[in-house]
Amino acid sequence: MIPADRTVLPFPCPCAPNSRSSKLLRRKLRSALRISELPVIVDLSHCGTLNRDDIELLLDCAAQGAGRDTPIVVVAGSPVTQVLLEVVRISSLIPVFSSVEEALGYTKTGGMSRVERNQNAVEYLK
Amino acid sequence: MELAAVVIVPPAESSAAIPGLAPQASVREHALNSHSLASLLTPILGNDILHAWIERIRKLGVPSLWLSSSGQEKLACSTLQAFASQGIQRFLTIKLKSYAEMDLSDLIHFHCESRNTVTEVHDSLGQLGVRVFDHPAAANGNCEYCAPADAGHSAYPFHGYAKRVLSARERQDLVGDVLIGGCAMRPLGKEVDENVWLGEGAKIADSVRLIGPSYIGAHTEIRSGATIGPFASIERDCLVDYGTTVERSTLLPGTYLASGLMIRHALVDGRYLEDVNSGVIADLEPAGLTARTASSRRRISFSSADVPAWGSKGPAAQWRKVQL
Repeated sequence: MIPADRTVLPFPCPCAPNSRSSKLLRRKLRSALRISELPVIVDLSHCGTLNRDDIELLLDCAAQGAGRDTPIVVVAGSPVTQVLLEVVRISSLIPVFSSVEEALGYTKTGGMSRVERNQNAVEYLK
Repeated sequence: MELAAVVIVPPAESSAAIPGLAPQASVREHALNSHSLASLLTPILGNDILHAWIERIRKLGVPSLWLSSSGQEKLACSTLQAFASQGIQRFLTIKLKSYAEMDLSDLIHFHCESRNTVTEVHDSLGQLGVRVFDHPAAANGNCEYCAPADAGHSAYPFHGYAKRVLSARERQDLVGDVLIGGCAMRPLGKEVDENVWLGEGAKIADSVRLIGPSYIGAHTEIRSGATIGPFASIERDCLVDYGTTVERSTLLPGTYLASGLMIRHALVDGRYLEDVNSGVIADLEPAGLTARTASSRRRISFSSADVPAWGSKGPAAQWRKVQL
């Protein structure tokens, strides 16, 4: 069961990128990241693969995360998605987990503060 | 006793690598079905491992060798009979799964001295896939499969440099050994800085950070802001776009990498990337991150006279003769 103090958002599946429901999900994801003050878990576990639009959206998520006090984390779901996230450097910007349970555990402990995240980003850029 | 040398190449990629061999699987099928993208049919720092074996065989004075794309580990009865009908009764077989700096004439000498039917090469990790065997009875239907279990076997202990290449990790280990001078193979190119080699016609933008030991193959282009190394091997005809980092990884010939990527501990072949540590293979093309460059793979080609027909008894389409 997902606790009420965290938001889990399914990532819009790339199988139907132009469908109405997919567009709705993308809009919902963007606005949730903008207005929600709760930790947000973006769940990619149902995505078999990622296309250009998905990566762009995920980079958007990472950018939103930089200005928030509560963390945004990603659930990769599959090892293939995890590899893709590493290749596009998203995993060095936001924490990536294999399952929703792992992500819930991380967000329960508060995750990294904004200061810690910024320090990590500086270390990474070095 | 006349000797025949046979190199057994992995079936999945053999048709792409060696024209004339029977098609086994497309590159895509290979990537999706195989456990690894690692193959000794692709160059290692510009070096061709198959040709390295062929050179060692050439030194034996054997007039020709046979390349087989058969997926079989051993030679079948019918094949041995076909050889025997031509008067060949001693065989040197090399399964193309390892790189070994081996003196084959010493192996043949050892085999003759031991007077056993089969000599198998072993190193500290076990069999290396190289063996010599005599088969006087091949024409009568006794093959490797049917040979009596008590046929004399001997082990040739090999203490030189050998590396099996069955996985991306093992391949990357071999690349590392070559880059640090841990074996006799050297990168094919000019050493432009300490432990940094460039192949002919390689183009490196001014702001590229090259960290040795690293290798950039012929006609490869590295664009501004990229970081290459340490322990990076970019084979020929690749293109690494702006700001991408390649570290402890290999790009196989003709691979394009998009801008801003982080390639670490990976083997990349066109659209596919294999994580060296986990063995996970990801298709990066839907995300537009990788592709095959316009100058596609230049594979091994044999200009020497070929004799693809092997006779009615042999599996003609799976064999190719190379004159030495």
